[in-house]
Amino acid sequence: MTENVNHDLKVDYSRDELARQHFVSGMRTYVLNSLSSNMRTVYDNKVAPNFKKKKNRAPKTAPEIHKALKSETIFKFYSSMRCNTQEMVWRSVIPGIERESEELVAKTKILSQSTQKANGTLTVDPKLSIPRYTAELDVHLMPGNYHEEHMPDDVSQGAIYDNGLSVFAMGFLGERMDDITQSVSTYFTKRYPDFKPKAILDMGCTLGHSTLPWKERYPQAEVTGIDVGAPSVRYAHGRAQSYGVSTHFAQKDAEHTGFADESFDVIYSCMFLHEIPKKNIRAIFKEAYRMLKPGGVMLHYELPPNSMLSAYDSFYLDWDSFYNKEPFYKAFRDSDPQEECVAAGFKKGKCFQYVAPSLNFYGDAAIAKAVADAKLDNKGENHMGRLVDGVQWFTFGAWK
Amino acid sequence: MFAVKAKKSKTKLRHGVKGKQLRFFGAQGVDELVSICMTLAQELWVVKERLATVEATAAKKGVILGDDIEGYAFTPEQRAIVEDEKKKFIDRVFFTLREQSEALSAGQAEPDGPKVP
Repeated sequence: MTENVNHDLKVDYSRDELARQHFVSGMRTYVLNSLSSNMRTVYDNKVAPNFKKKKNRAPKTAPEIHKALKSETIFKFYSSMRCNTQEMVWRSVIPGIERESEELVAKTKILSQSTQKANGTLTVDPKLSIPRYTAELDVHLMPGNYHEEHMPDDVSQGAIYDNGLSVFAMGFLGERMDDITQSVSTYFTKRYPDFKPKAILDMGCTLGHSTLPWKERYPQAEVTGIDVGAPSVRYAHGRAQSYGVSTHFAQKDAEHTGFADESFDVIYSCMFLHEIPKKNIRAIFKEAYRMLKPGGVMLHYELPPNSMLSAYDSFYLDWDSFYNKEPFYKAFRDSDPQEECVAAGFKKGKCFQYVAPSLNFYGDAAIAKAVADAKLDNKGENHMGRLVDGVQWFTFGAWK
Repeated sequence: MFAVKAKKSKTKLRHGVKGKQLRFFGAQGVDELVSICMTLAQELWVVKERLATVEATAAKKGVILGDDIEGYAFTPEQRAIVEDEKKKFIDRVFFTLREQSEALSAGQAEPDGPKVP
């Protein structure tokens, strides 16, 4: 709900607009809990037994399950209603942003130029060519994506993502919708207490919710967020300034950043890679390797790879790749994160992965316990825990 | 009447998604019907939430004022009731989608009826 957008770029929605957003949040809960569990019941009690009768074995892969389920009425309603709910997320926030778009531009400019609370910088590159995978898509059914501009100095798409994410997340991601990076970075600082980065880069930062927590963890470090969307980085900078967090934002393509060799100690991304074709991910990893100082670390929060999940769970997560305008999602989740790190130049023995318990749900002590357990389990830096247990965030990466 | 916010901007943003439209049902128009039903449900919810606010405001002040309704915040207790009502409301409207899985869970054996001619 946009009541959770709590900084100076907050939009003044009418009571009825807020009610529309409340409905969408409720509808999401219904589709993702009730309808998805009904679909599972139909699968377990009807689709899987029918498959077994025909083929003399249970379905083994996500595509087999998808093919067997897609003619079921429950699948059609689940899919159709999930798509509609997703579109309604954005449509429930756009009218207020449309109404206030010029005011939002003015407010963002004041925040960006003010040094009262924070002094991060903003760099916009009007000549940047928007990669095809962003330019041609309304990713996750968001009209205008991260980059479309409707007027000079526009911030609308940043505002749509912020307010929409707030309706989408329903408070699940914490007060600033940054629980993922709060949890991941807290785990990281506890796991590597002697590591003191001076320069941190967040790639594909959108509204900066994955960027700011790094400044909280490492206040002495220079923290920079980059994104191809000008409205996104403008908005992210205004938001950071409003929260009083000195963070830099720049409009850049993670494949060709223009940053010097060996200029960062940490290169991070959050929910970024699954929106990118595999060949571009490879180029981005190579660019990250180039930018990393020796002894630095690249890490990514992402959805877990298909190899770690059951066939049904893989089918369930892959749904987005087919129907939520996230076409590269499945190929990314089919790949092996470690192999991709090694292909970019990282050594196999320097790769790691972990799952961080949610800070918002379980608190700091749970993360400390997860770190302590990881140190005890003798699996080196491959501590996965159990992905299915509660709210946990999968992270992988490599040291240079 | 109708608390509409004044429009401060001339900017037009895109409300629809570009590219190929997602369709799931074989029969023509069913996807659109789902979409229309969902928007109708949403608008009905808007009315229900507004009415709840009217009732809460009336009870609090003894008189109904437009400005009061616009600015009224439910108490946490009232909000909990509203959230619960919302969940029940959605379950009711989309009951038909639950029916099949309930039937499967309850067992499918039943006596055959006469053959449909």
